[in-house]
Amino acid sequence: MLVAQGLVKQYGSRRALDGFDLTVDQGEIVGLIGHNGAGKSTFVEVVTGLVRPDAGRVSVGGVDALRDRRAARALTGVAPQELSLYVSATVRDNLRLFAALAGLRRGALRLAVDQVAEELQLTDLLGQRTGLLSGGQRRRTQAAVALVGGAPLLLLDEPTAGADPETRAALLAAVRARAAAGAAVLYTTHYLPELADLGATLAVARSGRVIARGDQDTLITGLPGELRLRLGDPAGAVGLPGCIAARARTVDGEVRITSADPPADLAALLSAGCSPVSVDVRRPDLDDLYSALALEACHAA
Amino acid sequence: MLPESVYRTGAVVRHNTILLLREPGPLVSRLILPLLFLTLLHPLYQEAQGHSAGISQAVIATLVTFSLLGLSIVGGSILVERMWHTWERVRTTAVRPAELLTGKAVPVLAALVVQQVLIIGFGAAAFGLAVTGLPLLALAILAWTLALLGMGAAIGVLARSLSEMSVIYDVGGMILSSLGGALVPLSAMPGWVRHIAPASPGYWAVSAFKAALAADATGTLRACAVLAGFAAAFGLLAAVRAGRSAARSTRM
Repeated sequence: MLVAQGLVKQYGSRRALDGFDLTVDQGEIVGLIGHNGAGKSTFVEVVTGLVRPDAGRVSVGGVDALRDRRAARALTGVAPQELSLYVSATVRDNLRLFAALAGLRRGALRLAVDQVAEELQLTDLLGQRTGLLSGGQRRRTQAAVALVGGAPLLLLDEPTAGADPETRAALLAAVRARAAAGAAVLYTTHYLPELADLGATLAVARSGRVIARGDQDTLITGLPGELRLRLGDPAGAVGLPGCIAARARTVDGEVRITSADPPADLAALLSAGCSPVSVDVRRPDLDDLYSALALEACHAA
Repeated sequence: MLPESVYRTGAVVRHNTILLLREPGPLVSRLILPLLFLTLLHPLYQEAQGHSAGISQAVIATLVTFSLLGLSIVGGSILVERMWHTWERVRTTAVRPAELLTGKAVPVLAALVVQQVLIIGFGAAAFGLAVTGLPLLALAILAWTLALLGMGAAIGVLARSLSEMSVIYDVGGMILSSLGGALVPLSAMPGWVRHIAPASPGYWAVSAFKAALAADATGTLRACAVLAGFAAAFGLLAAVRAGRSAARSTRM
Protein backbone atom coordinates (compact mmCIF):
# COMPACT_ATOMS: atom_id res chain seq x y z
CA MET A 1 0.00 0.00 0.00
CA LEU A 2 2.87 2.37 0.85
CA VAL A 3 6.26 2.05 -0.80
CA ALA A 4 8.99 4.63 -0.18
CA GLN A 5 12.39 4.25 -1.77
CA GLY A 6 15.56 6.27 -1.34
CA LEU A 7 13.94 9.42 0.01
CA VAL A 8 16.29 12.33 0.55
CA LYS A 9 15.34 15.71 1.99
CA GLN A 10 17.91 18.35 2.84
CA TYR A 11 17.12 21.48 4.89
CA GLY A 12 20.16 23.75 4.67
CA SER A 13 23.02 21.80 6.19
CA ARG A 14 20.71 19.27 7.86
CA ARG A 15 19.67 16.11 6.05
CA ALA A 16 16.22 15.20 7.42
CA LEU A 17 15.86 12.14 5.17
CA ASP A 18 18.93 10.33 3.93
CA GLY A 19 17.91 7.34 1.83
CA PHE A 20 14.70 6.52 3.70
CA ASP A 21 13.15 3.21 2.55
CA LEU A 22 9.92 1.79 3.94
CA THR A 23 7.12 -0.48 2.81
CA VAL A 24 3.77 -0.93 4.56
CA ASP A 25 1.44 -3.68 3.30
CA GLN A 26 -2.34 -3.88 3.48
CA GLY A 27 -3.47 -4.97 6.94
CA GLU A 28 -0.02 -4.31 8.41
CA ILE A 29 0.73 -1.96 11.28
CA VAL A 30 4.25 -0.62 11.10
CA GLY A 31 5.61 1.08 14.19
CA LEU A 32 8.08 3.72 13.11
CA ILE A 33 10.31 4.53 16.04
CA GLY A 34 13.31 6.77 16.51
CA HIS A 35 14.58 9.74 18.44
CA ASN A 36 13.37 13.27 17.72
CA GLY A 37 14.99 14.38 14.48
CA ALA A 38 15.28 10.81 13.15
CA GLY A 39 13.12 11.76 10.17
CA LYS A 40 9.77 10.25 11.19
CA SER A 41 7.63 13.38 10.85
CA THR A 42 9.43 14.53 7.69
CA PHE A 43 8.67 11.15 6.18
CA VAL A 44 4.97 11.55 7.03
CA GLU A 45 5.01 15.05 5.49
CA VAL A 46 6.58 13.67 2.31
CA VAL A 47 3.96 10.93 2.01
CA THR A 48 1.14 13.45 2.49
CA GLY A 49 2.68 15.75 -0.11
CA LEU A 50 3.33 18.66 2.27
CA VAL A 51 7.07 18.37 1.66
CA ARG A 52 8.68 17.55 -1.69
CA PRO A 53 11.75 15.33 -1.34
CA ASP A 54 15.01 16.13 -3.14
CA ALA A 55 15.24 12.52 -4.34
CA GLY A 56 13.44 9.21 -4.06
CA ARG A 57 10.04 7.73 -4.83
CA VAL A 58 6.80 7.27 -2.91
CA SER A 59 3.78 5.33 -4.06
CA VAL A 60 0.47 4.98 -2.24
CA GLY A 61 -1.81 2.18 -3.46
CA GLY A 62 0.14 2.10 -6.71
CA VAL A 63 -0.23 5.89 -7.24
CA ASP A 64 2.97 7.92 -7.60
CA ALA A 65 2.49 10.24 -4.60
CA LEU A 66 5.01 12.78 -5.86
CA ARG A 67 3.42 13.15 -9.31
CA ASP A 68 -0.25 12.78 -8.41
CA ARG A 69 -0.42 14.11 -4.90
CA ARG A 70 -4.19 14.52 -4.86
CA ALA A 71 -4.87 10.93 -5.86
CA ALA A 72 -2.43 9.70 -3.20
CA ARG A 73 -3.96 11.98 -0.57
CA ALA A 74 -7.40 10.59 -1.37
CA LEU A 75 -6.11 7.19 -0.19
CA THR A 76 -4.58 8.55 3.01
CA GLY A 77 -5.92 9.43 6.46
CA VAL A 78 -3.54 11.55 8.54
CA ALA A 79 -3.29 12.37 12.23
CA PRO A 80 -0.43 14.88 12.49
CA GLN A 81 1.67 15.07 15.61
CA GLU A 82 0.42 18.57 16.41
CA LEU A 83 -3.26 18.94 17.29
CA SER A 84 -5.01 20.44 14.28
CA LEU A 85 -8.71 20.86 15.00
CA TYR A 86 -11.21 23.64 14.37
CA VAL A 87 -11.61 24.58 18.01
CA SER A 88 -14.67 26.79 17.60
CA ALA A 89 -16.46 24.02 15.70
CA THR A 90 -18.03 20.95 17.26
CA VAL A 91 -16.58 17.46 17.09
CA ARG A 92 -19.30 16.60 14.56
CA ASP A 93 -18.42 19.64 12.40
CA ASN A 94 -14.77 18.58 12.33
CA LEU A 95 -15.64 15.00 11.41
CA ARG A 96 -18.20 16.04 8.80
CA LEU A 97 -15.70 18.27 6.98
CA PHE A 98 -13.04 15.58 6.67
CA ALA A 99 -15.56 12.88 5.81
CA ALA A 100 -16.92 15.12 3.03
CA LEU A 101 -13.42 15.87 1.74
CA ALA A 102 -12.82 12.12 1.65
CA GLY A 103 -15.78 11.88 -0.74
CA LEU A 104 -18.47 10.54 1.62
CA ARG A 105 -21.98 11.89 1.08
CA ARG A 106 -25.28 12.07 2.95
CA GLY A 107 -26.15 8.72 4.58
CA ALA A 108 -22.65 7.27 4.20
CA LEU A 109 -21.18 10.41 5.73
CA ARG A 110 -23.53 10.35 8.71
CA LEU A 111 -22.86 6.66 9.24
CA ALA A 112 -19.08 7.12 9.09
CA VAL A 113 -19.22 10.00 11.59
CA ASP A 114 -21.39 8.02 14.01
CA GLN A 115 -19.27 4.88 13.68
CA VAL A 116 -15.92 6.54 14.26
CA ALA A 117 -17.40 8.53 17.16
CA GLU A 118 -18.56 5.30 18.77
CA GLU A 119 -15.23 3.61 18.12
CA LEU A 120 -13.32 6.40 19.84
CA GLN A 121 -15.90 7.01 22.59
CA LEU A 122 -16.87 10.42 21.24
CA THR A 123 -20.60 9.84 20.73
CA ASP A 124 -21.61 11.94 23.73
CA LEU A 125 -19.21 14.70 22.67
CA LEU A 126 -20.32 15.12 19.05
CA GLY A 127 -22.16 18.36 19.82
CA GLN A 128 -19.34 19.82 21.94
CA ARG A 129 -16.94 22.43 20.64
CA THR A 130 -13.49 20.87 20.41
CA GLY A 131 -12.03 23.90 22.19
CA LEU A 132 -13.94 22.84 25.31
CA LEU A 133 -12.72 19.23 25.28
CA SER A 134 -10.05 17.77 27.56
CA GLY A 135 -6.63 16.93 26.14
CA GLY A 136 -7.47 13.23 25.81
CA GLN A 137 -10.80 13.95 24.12
CA ARG A 138 -9.05 16.22 21.62
CA ARG A 139 -6.52 13.49 20.88
CA ARG A 140 -9.38 11.07 20.18
CA THR A 141 -11.05 13.65 17.93
CA GLN A 142 -7.78 14.17 16.07
CA ALA A 143 -7.51 10.42 15.48
CA ALA A 144 -11.20 10.21 14.51
CA VAL A 145 -10.61 12.86 11.83
CA ALA A 146 -7.90 10.61 10.36
CA LEU A 147 -10.12 7.52 10.46
CA VAL A 148 -13.49 8.95 9.40
CA GLY A 149 -12.86 8.82 5.65
CA GLY A 150 -12.08 5.09 5.75
CA ALA A 151 -8.75 5.62 3.96
CA PRO A 152 -6.78 2.46 3.08
CA LEU A 153 -3.55 4.06 4.35
CA LEU A 154 -3.38 5.63 7.82
CA LEU A 155 -0.48 7.82 8.89
CA LEU A 156 -0.68 8.34 12.63
CA ASP A 157 2.12 10.55 13.94
CA GLU A 158 2.37 10.11 17.71
CA PRO A 159 -1.42 9.90 18.04
CA THR A 160 -1.32 9.20 21.78
CA ALA A 161 1.18 11.89 22.79
CA GLY A 162 0.07 13.19 26.19
CA ALA A 163 -3.03 10.99 26.14
CA ASP A 164 -4.61 9.39 29.21
CA PRO A 165 -4.87 5.55 29.48
CA GLU A 166 -8.55 5.58 28.42
CA THR A 167 -7.74 7.52 25.27
CA ARG A 168 -4.77 5.30 24.52
CA ALA A 169 -6.81 2.11 24.88
CA ALA A 170 -9.62 3.41 22.66
CA LEU A 171 -7.19 4.56 20.04
CA LEU A 172 -5.20 1.35 19.95
CA ALA A 173 -8.41 -0.68 19.64
CA ALA A 174 -9.55 1.51 16.73
CA VAL A 175 -6.19 1.16 14.97
CA ARG A 176 -6.21 -2.63 15.41
CA ALA A 177 -9.75 -2.78 14.00
CA ARG A 178 -8.80 -0.72 10.94
CA ALA A 179 -5.77 -2.90 10.26
CA ALA A 180 -7.89 -6.04 10.68
CA ALA A 181 -10.24 -4.58 8.05
CA GLY A 182 -7.29 -4.26 5.65
CA ALA A 183 -5.91 -0.76 6.21
CA ALA A 184 -2.16 -0.22 6.10
CA VAL A 185 -1.08 1.73 9.19
CA LEU A 186 2.10 3.68 9.79
CA TYR A 187 2.25 4.51 13.48
CA THR A 188 5.01 6.66 14.94
CA THR A 189 5.44 6.78 18.68
CA HIS A 190 7.86 7.11 21.56
CA TYR A 191 5.67 4.82 23.72
CA LEU A 192 7.13 1.50 22.67
CA PRO A 193 4.77 -0.75 24.67
CA GLU A 194 1.96 0.50 22.40
CA LEU A 195 3.62 -1.22 19.48
CA ALA A 196 3.65 -4.52 21.37
CA ASP A 197 -0.07 -4.02 22.09
CA LEU A 198 -0.71 -3.38 18.41
CA GLY A 199 1.37 -6.37 17.28
CA ALA A 200 3.14 -3.96 14.95
CA THR A 201 6.16 -4.79 12.88
CA LEU A 202 8.95 -2.34 13.48
CA ALA A 203 10.95 0.16 11.52
CA VAL A 204 13.68 1.91 13.47
CA ALA A 205 14.71 5.29 12.06
CA ARG A 206 17.92 7.08 12.80
CA SER A 207 19.51 10.08 11.06
CA GLY A 208 16.98 10.09 8.24
CA ARG A 209 17.03 6.41 7.34
CA VAL A 210 15.52 3.12 8.50
CA ILE A 211 18.28 1.18 10.23
CA ALA A 212 16.27 -1.93 11.15
CA ARG A 213 13.03 -3.47 9.92
CA GLY A 214 11.18 -6.62 10.95
CA ASP A 215 8.81 -8.17 13.44
CA GLN A 216 9.36 -7.52 17.12
CA ASP A 217 10.34 -11.06 18.14
CA THR A 218 12.96 -11.38 15.43
CA LEU A 219 14.52 -8.05 16.23
CA ILE A 220 14.52 -8.67 19.98
CA THR A 221 15.88 -12.23 19.83
CA GLY A 222 19.54 -12.24 20.79
CA LEU A 223 19.37 -9.03 22.75
CA PRO A 224 20.56 -9.26 26.36
CA GLY A 225 17.99 -9.18 29.14
CA GLU A 226 18.57 -8.27 32.74
CA LEU A 227 18.99 -10.22 35.95
CA ARG A 228 17.84 -8.22 38.95
CA LEU A 229 18.90 -9.21 42.46
CA ARG A 230 18.35 -7.90 45.92
CA LEU A 231 21.14 -8.96 48.21
CA GLY A 232 20.96 -9.31 51.97
CA ASP A 233 24.24 -7.43 52.18
CA PRO A 234 23.91 -4.07 50.33
CA ALA A 235 27.67 -4.14 49.67
CA GLY A 236 27.37 -7.64 48.17
CA ALA A 237 27.81 -6.44 44.62
CA VAL A 238 31.48 -5.93 45.33
CA GLY A 239 31.81 -9.68 45.87
CA LEU A 240 30.29 -10.71 42.51
CA PRO A 241 32.44 -12.88 40.23
CA GLY A 242 34.61 -10.66 38.00
CA CYS A 243 32.97 -11.62 34.68
CA ILE A 244 29.56 -10.72 36.08
CA ALA A 245 30.57 -7.66 38.10
CA ALA A 246 31.67 -5.95 34.87
CA ARG A 247 28.07 -6.13 33.63
CA ALA A 248 26.44 -5.11 36.92
CA ARG A 249 25.16 -1.78 38.19
CA THR A 250 23.24 -0.89 41.33
CA VAL A 251 19.97 1.02 41.14
CA ASP A 252 18.07 1.84 44.35
CA GLY A 253 19.77 -1.00 46.21
CA GLU A 254 18.99 -3.50 43.44
CA VAL A 255 21.84 -5.14 41.51
CA ARG A 256 21.05 -5.19 37.77
CA ILE A 257 23.17 -7.46 35.58
CA THR A 258 22.96 -7.26 31.79
CA SER A 259 22.76 -10.88 30.73
CA ALA A 260 22.42 -12.85 27.51
CA ASP A 261 21.82 -16.01 29.60
CA PRO A 262 20.24 -15.13 32.97
CA PRO A 263 19.92 -18.76 34.28
CA ALA A 264 23.63 -19.42 33.69
CA ASP A 265 24.62 -16.15 35.36
CA LEU A 266 22.34 -16.91 38.31
CA ALA A 267 23.90 -20.36 38.69
CA ALA A 268 27.36 -18.80 38.60
CA LEU A 269 26.37 -16.31 41.29
CA LEU A 270 24.93 -19.00 43.58
CA SER A 271 27.98 -21.23 43.20
CA ALA A 272 30.18 -18.22 44.04
CA GLY A 273 28.36 -17.97 47.39
CA CYS A 274 26.12 -15.09 46.53
CA SER A 275 22.81 -15.33 48.43
CA PRO A 276 20.14 -13.01 47.00
CA VAL A 277 16.92 -12.38 48.93
CA SER A 278 15.02 -11.85 45.68
CA VAL A 279 15.66 -12.60 42.01
CA ASP A 280 13.88 -11.17 38.98
CA VAL A 281 14.60 -11.80 35.30
CA ARG A 282 13.64 -9.08 32.82
CA ARG A 283 13.33 -10.14 29.21
CA PRO A 284 14.63 -7.77 26.53
CA ASP A 285 11.98 -5.38 25.21
CA LEU A 286 11.61 -2.68 22.57
CA ASP A 287 13.46 -0.14 24.70
CA ASP A 288 16.48 -2.46 24.71
CA LEU A 289 16.16 -2.99 20.98
CA TYR A 290 16.04 0.72 20.31
CA SER A 291 19.00 1.44 22.59
CA ALA A 292 21.05 -1.36 21.02
CA LEU A 293 20.31 -0.23 17.46
CA ALA A 294 21.00 3.40 18.24
CA LEU A 295 24.30 2.45 19.89
CA GLU A 296 25.22 0.21 16.96
CA ALA A 297 24.48 2.96 14.43
CA CYS A 298 26.44 5.43 16.51
CA HIS A 299 29.48 3.13 16.55
CA ALA A 300 29.16 2.52 12.80
CA ALA A 301 29.10 6.28 12.19
CA MET B 1 -25.00 13.75 -8.29
CA LEU B 2 -22.75 16.80 -7.92
CA PRO B 3 -19.28 16.66 -9.45
CA GLU B 4 -16.59 15.89 -6.85
CA SER B 5 -15.04 19.35 -7.10
CA VAL B 6 -18.33 21.16 -6.55
CA TYR B 7 -19.15 18.85 -3.66
CA ARG B 8 -15.78 19.44 -1.94
CA THR B 9 -16.04 23.21 -2.47
CA GLY B 10 -19.55 23.12 -1.03
CA ALA B 11 -18.29 21.20 2.00
CA VAL B 12 -15.58 23.82 2.64
CA VAL B 13 -18.09 26.68 2.16
CA ARG B 14 -20.47 25.02 4.61
CA HIS B 15 -17.72 24.46 7.15
CA ASN B 16 -16.44 28.04 6.94
CA THR B 17 -19.98 29.38 7.25
CA ILE B 18 -20.34 27.32 10.43
CA LEU B 19 -17.06 28.73 11.75
CA LEU B 20 -18.28 32.28 11.02
CA LEU B 21 -21.60 31.69 12.74
CA ARG B 22 -20.14 29.85 15.75
CA GLU B 23 -18.28 33.04 16.72
CA PRO B 24 -20.80 35.65 15.51
CA GLY B 25 -19.58 38.56 17.68
CA PRO B 26 -17.39 40.33 15.10
CA LEU B 27 -19.98 39.80 12.35
CA VAL B 28 -22.89 41.13 14.42
CA SER B 29 -20.96 44.19 15.57
CA ARG B 30 -19.83 44.94 12.00
CA LEU B 31 -23.48 44.77 10.89
CA ILE B 32 -25.10 46.75 13.68
CA LEU B 33 -22.50 49.43 14.51
CA PRO B 34 -22.57 51.07 11.05
CA LEU B 35 -26.34 51.49 11.26
CA LEU B 36 -25.97 53.26 14.62
CA PHE B 37 -23.12 55.36 13.24
CA LEU B 38 -25.19 56.37 10.22
CA THR B 39 -28.22 57.18 12.34
CA LEU B 40 -26.24 59.39 14.71
CA LEU B 41 -24.00 61.17 12.21
CA HIS B 42 -26.12 61.74 9.11
CA PRO B 43 -27.53 65.05 10.42
CA LEU B 44 -23.98 66.37 10.69
CA TYR B 45 -23.22 65.54 7.05
CA GLN B 46 -26.59 66.90 5.88
CA GLU B 47 -26.00 70.13 7.79
CA ALA B 48 -22.64 70.58 6.07
CA GLN B 49 -23.50 69.42 2.55
CA GLY B 50 -27.27 69.65 2.17
CA HIS B 51 -29.79 66.78 2.19
CA SER B 52 -28.91 64.79 -0.91
CA ALA B 53 -25.11 65.19 -0.92
CA GLY B 54 -25.04 64.91 2.89
CA ILE B 55 -26.84 61.57 3.11
CA SER B 56 -24.80 60.25 0.20
CA GLN B 57 -21.54 61.22 1.97
CA ALA B 58 -22.81 59.80 5.27
CA VAL B 59 -23.70 56.44 3.71
CA ILE B 60 -20.41 56.19 1.80
CA ALA B 61 -18.42 57.24 4.88
CA THR B 62 -20.13 54.59 6.96
CA LEU B 63 -19.84 51.91 4.28
CA VAL B 64 -16.14 52.40 3.54
CA THR B 65 -15.09 52.87 7.17
CA PHE B 66 -16.98 49.88 8.53
CA SER B 67 -16.18 47.60 5.64
CA LEU B 68 -12.49 48.36 6.25
CA LEU B 69 -13.03 47.46 9.90
CA GLY B 70 -14.76 44.34 8.56
CA LEU B 71 -11.34 43.20 7.37
CA SER B 72 -11.14 41.52 10.77
CA ILE B 73 -13.66 38.95 9.52
CA VAL B 74 -11.52 38.07 6.50
CA GLY B 75 -8.16 38.24 8.28
CA GLY B 76 -9.51 36.37 11.30
CA SER B 77 -10.80 33.49 9.21
CA ILE B 78 -7.28 32.95 7.82
CA LEU B 79 -5.32 33.66 10.97
CA VAL B 80 -7.23 31.11 13.06
CA GLU B 81 -6.44 28.40 10.52
CA ARG B 82 -2.76 29.17 11.05
CA MET B 83 -3.14 29.24 14.83
CA TRP B 84 -5.09 25.97 14.90
CA HIS B 85 -2.74 24.23 12.37
CA THR B 86 -5.82 23.27 10.37
CA TRP B 87 -4.63 24.78 7.08
CA GLU B 88 -1.84 22.19 6.76
CA ARG B 89 -4.21 19.48 7.94
CA VAL B 90 -6.79 20.24 5.25
CA ARG B 91 -4.03 20.35 2.64
CA THR B 92 -3.32 16.66 3.34
CA THR B 93 -6.76 15.78 1.92
CA ALA B 94 -7.81 15.51 -1.72
CA VAL B 95 -9.10 19.09 -1.78
CA ARG B 96 -7.61 21.36 -4.48
CA PRO B 97 -6.11 24.72 -3.42
CA ALA B 98 -8.69 26.54 -5.59
CA GLU B 99 -11.54 24.65 -3.88
CA LEU B 100 -10.10 25.49 -0.48
CA LEU B 101 -9.67 29.18 -1.27
CA THR B 102 -13.14 29.44 -2.82
CA GLY B 103 -14.65 27.70 0.17
CA LYS B 104 -12.86 30.10 2.48
CA ALA B 105 -13.73 33.22 0.46
CA VAL B 106 -17.44 32.68 -0.22
CA PRO B 107 -18.77 33.07 3.36
CA VAL B 108 -16.67 36.15 4.15
CA LEU B 109 -17.45 37.63 0.75
CA ALA B 110 -21.14 37.11 1.49
CA ALA B 111 -20.73 38.73 4.92
CA LEU B 112 -19.03 41.79 3.42
CA VAL B 113 -21.66 42.12 0.68
CA VAL B 114 -24.49 41.81 3.23
CA GLN B 115 -22.85 44.52 5.35
CA GLN B 116 -22.66 46.94 2.40
CA VAL B 117 -26.15 46.16 1.11
CA LEU B 118 -27.51 46.62 4.63
CA ILE B 119 -25.88 50.06 4.98
CA ILE B 120 -27.04 51.25 1.55
CA GLY B 121 -30.52 49.80 2.08
CA PHE B 122 -30.79 51.39 5.51
CA GLY B 123 -29.60 54.73 4.10
CA ALA B 124 -32.23 54.55 1.36
CA ALA B 125 -35.09 53.32 3.54
CA ALA B 126 -34.50 55.44 6.62
CA PHE B 127 -32.90 58.63 5.30
CA GLY B 128 -33.91 58.84 1.65
CA LEU B 129 -30.63 58.02 -0.07
CA ALA B 130 -31.30 58.19 -3.82
CA VAL B 131 -30.19 54.91 -5.42
CA THR B 132 -30.33 55.27 -9.19
CA GLY B 133 -27.72 53.10 -10.91
CA LEU B 134 -28.28 49.69 -9.29
CA PRO B 135 -26.01 47.71 -11.70
CA LEU B 136 -23.22 50.24 -11.18
CA LEU B 137 -23.73 50.08 -7.44
CA ALA B 138 -23.57 46.27 -7.58
CA LEU B 139 -20.33 46.53 -9.55
CA ALA B 140 -18.87 48.95 -7.00
CA ILE B 141 -19.85 46.63 -4.15
CA LEU B 142 -18.27 43.66 -5.92
CA ALA B 143 -15.01 45.46 -6.76
CA TRP B 144 -14.67 46.90 -3.24
CA THR B 145 -15.46 43.52 -1.67
CA LEU B 146 -12.76 41.82 -3.76
CA ALA B 147 -10.26 44.50 -2.71
CA LEU B 148 -11.28 43.91 0.92
CA LEU B 149 -10.81 40.16 0.46
CA GLY B 150 -7.31 40.73 -0.91
CA MET B 151 -6.40 43.10 1.92
CA GLY B 152 -7.95 40.81 4.54
CA ALA B 153 -6.07 37.80 3.20
CA ALA B 154 -2.80 39.75 3.32
CA ILE B 155 -3.48 40.77 6.94
CA GLY B 156 -4.43 37.17 7.77
CA VAL B 157 -1.10 35.79 6.56
CA LEU B 158 1.07 38.67 7.82
CA ALA B 159 -0.32 39.02 11.36
CA ARG B 160 1.25 36.76 13.95
CA SER B 161 -1.53 36.99 16.54
CA LEU B 162 -5.11 38.15 16.97
CA SER B 163 -3.99 41.24 18.88
CA GLU B 164 -1.51 42.18 16.16
CA MET B 165 -4.24 41.72 13.57
CA SER B 166 -6.61 43.86 15.60
CA VAL B 167 -4.08 46.73 15.62
CA ILE B 168 -3.55 46.40 11.85
CA TYR B 169 -7.22 46.54 10.91
CA ASP B 170 -8.26 49.11 13.54
CA VAL B 171 -5.47 51.62 12.89
CA GLY B 172 -4.93 50.69 9.24
CA GLY B 173 -8.63 50.71 8.47
CA MET B 174 -9.12 54.13 10.00
CA ILE B 175 -6.10 55.56 8.16
CA LEU B 176 -7.16 54.14 4.78
CA SER B 177 -10.70 55.30 5.33
CA SER B 178 -9.66 58.85 6.35
CA LEU B 179 -7.08 59.13 3.57
CA GLY B 180 -9.73 58.09 1.09
CA GLY B 181 -11.96 60.97 2.09
CA ALA B 182 -14.65 58.73 3.51
CA LEU B 183 -15.13 60.37 6.90
CA VAL B 184 -14.26 63.95 5.90
CA PRO B 185 -14.50 65.08 2.24
CA LEU B 186 -11.06 65.49 0.69
CA SER B 187 -11.92 69.07 -0.21
CA ALA B 188 -11.88 69.87 3.51
CA MET B 189 -8.56 68.07 4.10
CA PRO B 190 -5.03 69.56 3.95
CA GLY B 191 -3.36 69.66 0.53
CA TRP B 192 -0.84 66.91 1.31
CA VAL B 193 -3.67 64.50 2.17
CA ARG B 194 -5.37 65.22 -1.17
CA HIS B 195 -2.02 64.53 -2.83
CA ILE B 196 -1.52 61.06 -1.34
CA ALA B 197 -5.20 60.06 -1.16
CA PRO B 198 -5.17 58.02 -4.44
CA ALA B 199 -2.67 55.64 -2.82
CA SER B 200 -5.44 54.50 -0.47
CA PRO B 201 -7.91 51.83 -1.64
CA GLY B 202 -10.44 53.76 0.44
CA TYR B 203 -10.14 56.69 -1.98
CA TRP B 204 -11.11 54.48 -4.93
CA ALA B 205 -13.94 52.91 -2.95
CA VAL B 206 -15.34 56.36 -2.17
CA SER B 207 -14.89 57.33 -5.86
CA ALA B 208 -16.61 54.14 -7.05
CA PHE B 209 -19.62 54.56 -4.75
CA LYS B 210 -19.96 58.30 -5.44
CA ALA B 211 -19.86 57.65 -9.20
CA ALA B 212 -22.28 54.71 -8.93
CA LEU B 213 -24.79 56.73 -6.91
CA ALA B 214 -24.51 59.50 -9.52
CA ALA B 215 -25.04 56.91 -12.31
CA ASP B 216 -21.63 57.85 -13.74
CA ALA B 217 -20.63 54.68 -15.60
CA THR B 218 -17.17 55.87 -16.67
CA GLY B 219 -16.22 57.04 -13.19
CA THR B 220 -17.52 53.82 -11.64
CA LEU B 221 -15.67 51.57 -14.10
CA ARG B 222 -12.42 53.49 -13.67
CA ALA B 223 -12.54 53.29 -9.87
CA CYS B 224 -13.60 49.62 -9.98
CA ALA B 225 -10.66 48.80 -12.26
CA VAL B 226 -8.25 50.35 -9.74
CA LEU B 227 -9.95 48.43 -6.91
CA ALA B 228 -9.58 45.21 -8.91
CA GLY B 229 -5.87 46.05 -9.22
CA PHE B 230 -5.62 46.45 -5.44
CA ALA B 231 -7.45 43.13 -5.01
CA ALA B 232 -4.99 41.36 -7.31
CA ALA B 233 -1.92 42.97 -5.72
CA PHE B 234 -2.95 42.18 -2.13
CA GLY B 235 -4.13 38.70 -3.15
CA LEU B 236 -0.76 38.00 -4.76
CA LEU B 237 1.06 39.26 -1.66
CA ALA B 238 -1.08 36.95 0.50
CA ALA B 239 -0.47 33.95 -1.79
CA VAL B 240 3.31 34.49 -1.88
CA ARG B 241 3.50 35.02 1.86
CA ALA B 242 1.30 31.98 2.56
CA GLY B 243 3.52 29.84 0.33
CA ARG B 244 6.65 30.96 2.18
CA SER B 245 5.04 30.38 5.59
CA ALA B 246 4.03 26.86 4.58
CA ALA B 247 7.55 26.10 3.39
CA ARG B 248 9.00 27.46 6.65
CA SER B 249 6.57 25.59 8.86
CA THR B 250 7.57 22.27 7.32
CA ARG B 251 11.20 22.93 8.21
CA MET B 252 10.59 23.19 11.94
